[in-house]
Amino acid sequence: MSGSVRSGAGLLWRHQRLVWWIFAVNLTIAWLSSLSARAMLSKVLDHSLESAKLVTGFNLGALVLMLERPDVQMGSLTSDMLGASLIFLVYLLFIDGGVLTVYLEDRKLSRAEFFENAGLFFWRMVRLSLYSLIPFALLGAAHSGINNAAGRLASDAAPERLGFYVQVGGGLVIALLALLVRLWFDLAQARVVRDGERQIFRTLLHSFKPAFTSGLYVKYVGIGLLGMLAFAAGTGVWVYLPHQAAAASFVVLELVTVTAIATRLWLKATSASWVALQPSGAAVTAAPPSESSAPASEDGLEASPNAPLPE
Amino acid sequence: MKIRCWRIWLMAVGALLAVSAAAQNTPLSDRVVAYQIEGTYNEKTHTLDATELLTYTNKTGTQLTRFPFHLFLNAFQPKSTWMTEAERTGQRDAPKGAGWEDKHFGSNEVKSLEIVGAGDVTKQMKFISPDDGNADDRTVFEIALPKPLAAGQSIQFKIHFVAKFPEVVARTGYKRNFLMAGQWFPKVGVFWNGTWNCHQFHASTEFFGDFGTFDVKLTLPAKWNVGASGVQTGAKDNGNGTQTVSFHGEDIHDFAWTADPATKVVEDSVRLSSGTVKIRMLMQPGHMNSVHRYLEALKGTMHKFDEWIGPYPYPQITVVDPPHGGGAAGGMEYPALFTAGTTWWEPNWYLEPEVTVEHEFGHQYWYGMVATNEFENAWMDEGINSYTEVKIMDALYGKETSYVNSRLGTLSERGLQRMSYGAAPDRDPAARNAWQFVDGSSYGGITYSKTALMMLTLESLIGEKTVIHGLHQYFERYKFKHPAPGEFTAAMNEAVGQNLDWYWKQTIDGTETLDDRILTASSERLDWYSEAPEKKGVTVYHNEVIVHRRGTFDIPVVLEAKFDDGSVVRERWDGKDRWHRFAWDRKTKLVSAEIDPDHGNLLDRDPFNNSWTEKASGKASGKLAGYWTLVTQWLEQALGWLA
Repeated sequence: MSGSVRSGAGLLWRHQRLVWWIFAVNLTIAWLSSLSARAMLSKVLDHSLESAKLVTGFNLGALVLMLERPDVQMGSLTSDMLGASLIFLVYLLFIDGGVLTVYLEDRKLSRAEFFENAGLFFWRMVRLSLYSLIPFALLGAAHSGINNAAGRLASDAAPERLGFYVQVGGGLVIALLALLVRLWFDLAQARVVRDGERQIFRTLLHSFKPAFTSGLYVKYVGIGLLGMLAFAAGTGVWVYLPHQAAAASFVVLELVTVTAIATRLWLKATSASWVALQPSGAAVTAAPPSESSAPASEDGLEASPNAPLPE
Repeated sequence: MKIRCWRIWLMAVGALLAVSAAAQNTPLSDRVVAYQIEGTYNEKTHTLDATELLTYTNKTGTQLTRFPFHLFLNAFQPKSTWMTEAERTGQRDAPKGAGWEDKHFGSNEVKSLEIVGAGDVTKQMKFISPDDGNADDRTVFEIALPKPLAAGQSIQFKIHFVAKFPEVVARTGYKRNFLMAGQWFPKVGVFWNGTWNCHQFHASTEFFGDFGTFDVKLTLPAKWNVGASGVQTGAKDNGNGTQTVSFHGEDIHDFAWTADPATKVVEDSVRLSSGTVKIRMLMQPGHMNSVHRYLEALKGTMHKFDEWIGPYPYPQITVVDPPHGGGAAGGMEYPALFTAGTTWWEPNWYLEPEVTVEHEFGHQYWYGMVATNEFENAWMDEGINSYTEVKIMDALYGKETSYVNSRLGTLSERGLQRMSYGAAPDRDPAARNAWQFVDGSSYGGITYSKTALMMLTLESLIGEKTVIHGLHQYFERYKFKHPAPGEFTAAMNEAVGQNLDWYWKQTIDGTETLDDRILTASSERLDWYSEAPEKKGVTVYHNEVIVHRRGTFDIPVVLEAKFDDGSVVRERWDGKDRWHRFAWDRKTKLVSAEIDPDHGNLLDRDPFNNSWTEKASGKASGKLAGYWTLVTQWLEQALGWLA
């Protein structure tokens, strides 16, 4: 494992409470958004013998018949799901400043420090996120074009598998480019937090070259692959669980979810640790620790006995 | 003595074989038409230049003064009825608004038409549009005879035509070097129920033809593999890079052929009660891993039809596997030939190739032999065939796993039919011209699925064996004929010994839907005024279940009630009202109640409200809600990559 990857892994491990907090919020928002679905399903299924078809196995015909019922409003449930996702995105953007400060400084932040940094950088993170829509949209368009071309090849080209190979190969290239874009913006985020930079566009320009030259990209790919392997292993275990083992399925898939969050934070920590070692372009303007804050605990969080942990 | 016995037996067997052979030469059908077609295929222009000699024998019992002909390939032109409908409502291989592409142009051009003995009548050809009056539709033409054709007399038409095939669309056309030639020749209409029946080609319609013989001679590039309805009777290498192959088919009402230089030919056979039937499969090289799946499904299906419905009388069945990108040619039936469909990556748990093979072979019976009018009564071939599809797939692959059989989930054939019917259950009656359905969803849901569910639900009323026996009797009576809907229902009524018109009227002619549900269920103390505590086994309860009918479809209802002492009661309601109260005064309390406990009424749109349990179980809702939460989490995270 190379320096920054190891360093990122160390940061991830030392500040693992960030992973668990993000996971907790991820789960809580999803759970709250699914309450209406739960109530709707409960009304239909809890007193029906037909529901056994969804417990002892997974009868897709029964599922579709249930979804065809007029009282099962899939449109409304899907809106809840999208709403929850947007809330989670805003939450992540909000805490980004605090998370990156923890990784850049590799020290314990009090709750006040954490939220001060979160608040300080929130709008800059939002702006970076909006900028990132441009390359991601371009990649999305390219992906759509590749899919269309692959569809045409799958239909018209003489070699039967050519379309498939183009689709898989093209999808892989797009995924790798998306990861590169993510690295570019992760570097920009880390620089913004380290330098207190307000010139977002300039920071983006300065971060572009290192995305290619820093050697971080290979590390990003490696970490991404490890994350995918973990995801595949987890879902592989889930597939072989019996249908009745709903609780075990839930636990396994939640572990997969935690792994996915950890992978994303590992990437962030890796880029942050690299940025932390680079000469600063401007004075570090991340909010200094609040004088009034309580001493930080070992994992970087305020050890106030009364307050909930902020991460 | 023993030797003498053997001789007698041998003589008897010989005589039987001779009789059997003679019987085989007896026409199975009223051979009204005899087509002799010779053509040359140009693989560069995808055209066939051909001459057709059609001998038509007037067996209508009346004199004929005009003859209508189909020119199906003219449907693939921008202003045709087929294309207009496809653009407005979609067709099986493309959604509505798919637009026009020049590669889909097809045509049947009649260069000359001669009535043998009466001369050239090409100029008297008149295009007609009996269904919609579309003057730009050229899929049907008519010719007035110089003199009437008396009953029992024959007439011969000699037609020189050029067929231009489109890139594969609606079951016919080319894809690279592959060609599926369906509906490719000028085909005479059917004189049926006292009049000519020759509809325009519509986006949702299929076909209708008279039985007869086909002798087809095709010249095409050498070394191309050719398959066709009927059996191959000759092949000649012309020495100029072309070959001429001949086919003969008899007691069939259509003729399709296919050619492709790339296909691999797989031959096998199956032994049925009618004898050994040759299986000839033209497989795409990349699809050879599906050969065993096709064969297993085909042989299993042929055996089941042989056992349940009747013998397959033709010596051969040809299976065509379309190439990638040629899916529009797949899943189509022609006499003694059908097209299947698979991919190089087809997963084992997804039984679509098996279902396609089963369904298209089933059409050899419901369309091929029982040759119903697919333009007007599509439910009679597609629907009855979907019923046998469910039965046979269940028998071969398991009742709950006959369509999807994976670790993650299962889907049965009957579940598939219920889903399809549930999407549009009340817009059209089954008894409607195929092109007059409101859209493709309704056409599929009613024609295929509602009919299948009608037959499956009938099993719950009169028994599975009785329904299959009725279908067998119907087949025996109407094979090689063109039965109308009334003949189907009458034959079924007679075979099962019951008048089921009340049922047919609702399912075939009506749009009534059915949703029986348990409105309320309760157990109250009979001595509700008493202040004495309840005592198990002593206190008498008034147990009550009210069943409510939401739809307007009348059908008897069976209710099963279970009580807390383990006892089970089944009662029946004739279904003649909007609701019915089932009540029991007994020393036990109700723990559950279920309408249709044998799950035989598949027309009921909502099975979830058919039962009630006193105790709630959150297992299913908890499981689904858990997955819903998880999907939401993953969507959150996916979006979170923007942060």
